[in-house]
Amino acid sequence: MLLVPCPHCGPRNQSDLRLLGEAVPRPNPNTATRKEWGDYLYLRENPADWVTETWYCRVGCRQYFTVERHQATNEFRNPPLPGDKVGNSTYTTITVGSSGSQRGANANSEEQPS
Amino acid sequence: MVSIRKPNPGPLRYSAATLARKGLSGDDWPRVWRDHDLKKTYDVIIIGGGVHGLATAYYLATNHGITNVAVLDKGYLGGGGSGRNTAIVRSNYLTPEGVAFYDRSLSLYNTMAADLNINVMFSERGHMTLAHTDSALRTMHWRAEVNKLQGIDSSVIDPQEVKKLAPSLDVTSHPRYPILGALHHPPGGIIRHDAVVWGYARGADHAGVHLHQKTEVLDILCEGGELAEGKGAGGKVTGVRTNRGDISAPIVVNCTAGWGSLISNMAGVKLPIVTHPLEAAVTEPVKVFLPAVVVSGSLHVYVSQTDRGELVFGASVDPLATYSMRGSLSFTEELAGHILELMPGISKMRLLRQWAGLCDMTPDYSPIMGFTPVEGHLTDVGWGTYGFKAGPVSGEQMAECIATQQTPKLIAPFKLSRFETGELVGEKGAAAVGH
Repeated sequence: MLLVPCPHCGPRNQSDLRLLGEAVPRPNPNTATRKEWGDYLYLRENPADWVTETWYCRVGCRQYFTVERHQATNEFRNPPLPGDKVGNSTYTTITVGSSGSQRGANANSEEQPS
Repeated sequence: MVSIRKPNPGPLRYSAATLARKGLSGDDWPRVWRDHDLKKTYDVIIIGGGVHGLATAYYLATNHGITNVAVLDKGYLGGGGSGRNTAIVRSNYLTPEGVAFYDRSLSLYNTMAADLNINVMFSERGHMTLAHTDSALRTMHWRAEVNKLQGIDSSVIDPQEVKKLAPSLDVTSHPRYPILGALHHPPGGIIRHDAVVWGYARGADHAGVHLHQKTEVLDILCEGGELAEGKGAGGKVTGVRTNRGDISAPIVVNCTAGWGSLISNMAGVKLPIVTHPLEAAVTEPVKVFLPAVVVSGSLHVYVSQTDRGELVFGASVDPLATYSMRGSLSFTEELAGHILELMPGISKMRLLRQWAGLCDMTPDYSPIMGFTPVEGHLTDVGWGTYGFKAGPVSGEQMAECIATQQTPKLIAPFKLSRFETGELVGEKGAAAVGH
């Protein structure tokens, strides 16, 4: 089970949270074309690489936050800090689990990349 | 509909007489399929050597006479979803489009052993989808009516009949999710999935198709498209780049699972796919006691007993979108809990092993088949958790699509453009956990 770095609760079991999928910008529903709206609803990058995704801390702080995860190795990086806005990409760029990073959540300690 | 002609039986026909002759003479059996050098040009390149890719190649060669075909696989044949599924086949789906499609697949599975001259060990043992809530029972009635209208043997049965068909199930009112009834589908069953792969590989090889294992596609070469390097809408495919060199071909078919969206991305085609792993497990072999395939949507589990006596369990997809195929303890714990709820008598059985396979999930739980905005690039992807049971019919229909350059009626509802126009084929009610 993954340890997900929640900005308020620290590393939490994956079952405590819900993954809502890749964070995609929402087009203006009044002006979006059919294609743009279809792409927003359904199209995802789905890379075997880093993605920015939205999580919901279901049984903890019940907040939404975004975090980067590697879809092949399940590592997390750039964990959000309390007060970061959802969808804000200006997080401090510390890699979770790297030496010297005392802030944020140490999500990497249990889940080494395979 | 294309009729199935008898395949070329190839150099050696499997039969009791051949077995006796080989037994007496002590001769070696020939290789089931041959290795070839990579040619510079093929008429059709099929990416993915699983049941879908091999069936497409087989029907291209036998039904349409197109034999200058290469099947490329980055690993070994049948090493992906074709070797990781739980080998259940059925056709009791929810939408008329889905029912017609899977029913054709089931009829191909029925005659497969004779068509391919290989023992696929098809066991038509009946398939039960349990209902634990009133709303589930309502969906079962809905499915049964849709099925009956299309001539499929499918009906709702009560707990006493469930008990008769599978005596080990707990049909009392004690469990957290008591069994209120079930959708019974007698034509459903299990089949040996490796034999299906080998049968199609052997048939395709005998018909002249080149099967290339350990040949990884690194890029799809295109020209004239709107994106960089001529990829994307409006362009056309010219070939593929592999780890063994470039091959040119006017038609490149994506028959991969798990990596479907990455492969089509190489041609500049974005697909509405998210990849989730699905975990399965198998117990030690015991005496046969479970005569039917049992599925429970509420408990996220399906179980069948193989001819060898092992119980094969499968679950729903993991909630995490990932390409990692690692198993997890939480899966095993939940699975064991749910199985014991259904069959308290097997609490002492031991799990032998567990594994995971990758599922390309689409938003409506239906596949993406046919042409794409890039000329010459066709897809047979997005097979989610139901790809194996659709293998034969997908191959047959994709072969017709490639040979005639027209989308056959049976796969027309599964076109890529449905996500733009909103014509989704919602199969979640019947495909999410029911296998």
